[in-house]
Parts: sequence; structure tokens; C-alpha cells
Amino acid sequence: MRPTLAFALAFSAATLFAPLAQAAGASDTEQERNARWQEIAKSIFGDKTIESTDTLVKIEAPKRAEDAALVPITLSMPDRDKIKSVSLIIDDNPAPYAAKFEFGPAADTRELKLRVRVNNYTDMHAVVETPDGKLYEAKQFVKASGGCSAPMGMSDEEAMKGMGDMRMKFAEAQPGKPVEATLMIRHPNFSGMQMNQVTRDFTPARYIDKVTVSAGDETVFTMTGDISIASNPVINFGFKPDGKALKVAASDNQGGRWSHSFNAPSPTN
Amino acid sequence: MGPRGLYLGRAAAIAAAALCLAAAEPADSPVNVPEPPGLYTGPQRGYTPPTLKGARVVDGATVAEMIAGPDKPVLIDVAMRERKPANFPEGRLWLPVHPSIPGAVWLPNAGAAPLPPEREALFFGRVEQLTGGDKAKPIVVFCHVECWGSWNAGKRLVDKGYTAVNWFPQGVEGWQDFHETRNLTEDPEWKQATGP
Repeated sequence: MRPTLAFALAFSAATLFAPLAQAAGASDTEQERNARWQEIAKSIFGDKTIESTDTLVKIEAPKRAEDAALVPITLSMPDRDKIKSVSLIIDDNPAPYAAKFEFGPAADTRELKLRVRVNNYTDMHAVVETPDGKLYEAKQFVKASGGCSAPMGMSDEEAMKGMGDMRMKFAEAQPGKPVEATLMIRHPNFSGMQMNQVTRDFTPARYIDKVTVSAGDETVFTMTGDISIASNPVINFGFKPDGKALKVAASDNQGGRWSHSFNAPSPTN
Repeated sequence: MGPRGLYLGRAAAIAAAALCLAAAEPADSPVNVPEPPGLYTGPQRGYTPPTLKGARVVDGATVAEMIAGPDKPVLIDVAMRERKPANFPEGRLWLPVHPSIPGAVWLPNAGAAPLPPEREALFFGRVEQLTGGDKAKPIVVFCHVECWGSWNAGKRLVDKGYTAVNWFPQGVEGWQDFHETRNLTEDPEWKQATGP
């Protein structure tokens, strides 16, 4: 809840009467953001060229997030054959590399949703890799702040209750069409930056670092995660059902291992 | 109900208050948080009082006006630095950044209470240098929204006899909605004294 709706409203009103000479998006701040992106991109992708794209990947995010610890992101990648992987980078988060999804043969990449923590007003980048190894980026600016250190509002013990439990919801299946599924994993995904408000100790980082979803023998995706993924991760994805069970294997950075199997809707004719 | 629940539960009240007051005054607190008699020693994150006795409470537009005016204020940012998790994996990208008001001096966590005596002395020493020893020089203290650090820093300065202390409770978040930010590095003297 930072910034609060209170001053969002207060400021909107206030600025109606204030000169807008220094409106956001002007030169210096923008240059600084670009320089930072170059630095991050170099450390993740090395010297590889990244071209911008309007078509291969799009990021949708609320312009102003209601809850910085739970910011919904949608990545749209309509051209399945051109997508090998997608990386989500939240530039101004202290740990900017939020997630990487590597897609397998059973993936439908049209829409991928997840919820992340946002620490500062920031650019977000989605970088897709095509099968021939080329990189393309899309960008979106998001206003949210304080998401990485926002306390969960409950004790650590309570937050860890049922850790590793999973649920899967399927949208209605149509013959021959990919199916949309929503995976929910109970896990606090402690960022390591959250202070227990009572003891004032920092809760050590404990986050889901890998999730693999497969349909039968074929991989849908493997996600490499980080502390920027919101607590109780929810991933919305598409896959091509083949009548076999959907298997999920998840692990965290403290050695937690969980796996579940879900009966996928069968494509009835 | 935990703190987070409280935050959420009060959102409606905040919105209502903001609408009624039409932003005449900044930082309308959703609950009536009274000023503590001295420095606030609770957790830094939380609702702050609407006032700071002996100081003026300012909003972003006022801060911008002050910066553009003839007697430029000393801008003091006391936001805490981001804490790298102790068990953060080696080789994973860690690159904290601190956007703030351009020209501000960043003294991380200078609003902590209690502050070790030598650190408090350094804080006063830095402010004395930055104001050129002029107790009437305008000063703006801030950190983040709902952060007691800037309230405490302002309180310290008022108690020390500074007469033009301005507290900007909306902090970096309130600023960056409408103004340029600049990524700050820590004040070198402060950093040297407080360590990494």
C-alpha cells in the first residue's frame, strides 16, 4: 500500500493548481533510467544486441499499482513459434531480474501472468529470446513503491503454514485448443528485506527459485524465480493438453521441494 | 488483524479524508496519530502524525517552489538503504538504486531512534556544514511516505534550534509523481562513518 491512495488523490488535486513545468518523463530522469537498463541488460545478457519489439512481446501492468507487493503483470507473446524464453526485469528493484520462463513444446505463450513486488517507480522490461538466439525487448513504466520490504502482516510461522501446497484451476477446454491454467503455490516468498514489525529482525530470504510445469512428458515451462515474485505465487499460463496429467515441481532457495499432479481437462469431442 | 490488514482496511478512510480536504494539507493520516513527546522509537514504517511541532509540514509542490526560489533549502533524505538479504545467492544480480529529489543529501537511517551518540553528532555536524551554520536556513527532511525516519530527523533539528525545518511526509513517493528524480549515492562522510 505504498504510495497510499490518499496522497495519490491528494497530489492529483494539488497539481491541478501547480505548474507542470517539471512533469515526469523529461530528459534527465529518462536518461538515468536508460543508463540503468543498459547496465542491467549487460550484466544479464552480456554484449548481445537487444532490439525493441511491439509484436513479439507486450507487457501489461497497472500504471499505478494498488499494492506494490502484489503487482499483476501480463506478458503477451502471440507468436508461439518465435518464443524460446522470456525474462522479466524490474529495473529499479534491488534484485532486478525477477523471473525467466523457458518454454517447452507443450507451452502456449499467448498470455502469461504473474504477480510481482515493485520497490520503486520503475521501468519493467520483458526480453524474449527467439529460437535463433536473438533478443527483443518491450518496456512498461509502473508506479509502485516499497513492495520488496512490505511486511506480510502476519507472523513468519503463519506465513509459512502449508508451504508448498498447490492448487490449479483450468479454464474450460475446447477440442484442439490450448487450455488456460492458473497455478497457485502457497509460499511466503520472503524477500529477505521484510522486517518483522514486532521483533524488528529481518526474515531471511526464502523464495521459490524454480518451478517446472509439464504436460505428460512434455515441458510447458520452467520458471527461474527471485525475491521479486509476490508471496503465494500465482502463475497464469497456457498449455496444449494431451490428456495426461499436468505435473508441477517447485523448489525454493532453502532446499524446499514440492511436486503435485493435476488432472488436466481432456479435450472431449 | 496484522499491520498489512490495517493498511488495507484504512484505505477507504484515507481516500475519503483526501477528498474532503481536497489536498489542502499534506499527509492526512487515516488515524489520528498523536505526536510522541520525544523521538519515536517504534518501527520506522507506519502512519505518522499530521504535524511536527516547531516545523512546517510541506507537500511536493511547496518543496518544488522552495527549490526554485531564491533561498534554496538544504534537502536531507534519511531513507534507509536497501538491505541485501544475508542469504542472497552469489552471482544473482543485486543492484539497489535510490531515486530521490535532485540535489538532496542522503544520510541513510539518520532518523533512527535511538541513534548512537557519535552518529547523532555526525548528523548534526553534517547539517551544520550543509546550512553553513545558519540555524535559520530552510531545511527539508524526508524519506518515504509513512516513514518515521524523517519525522525523527526533523524533530532532532527542531530540538537543536533550527528554525526553518520543513517536514515532507510524502517523501520520495510524493515527489516522483510530478517531478524529476535523481539516483542518489550516500553522503560520503556519512557512509565512511556508518560502514557498508
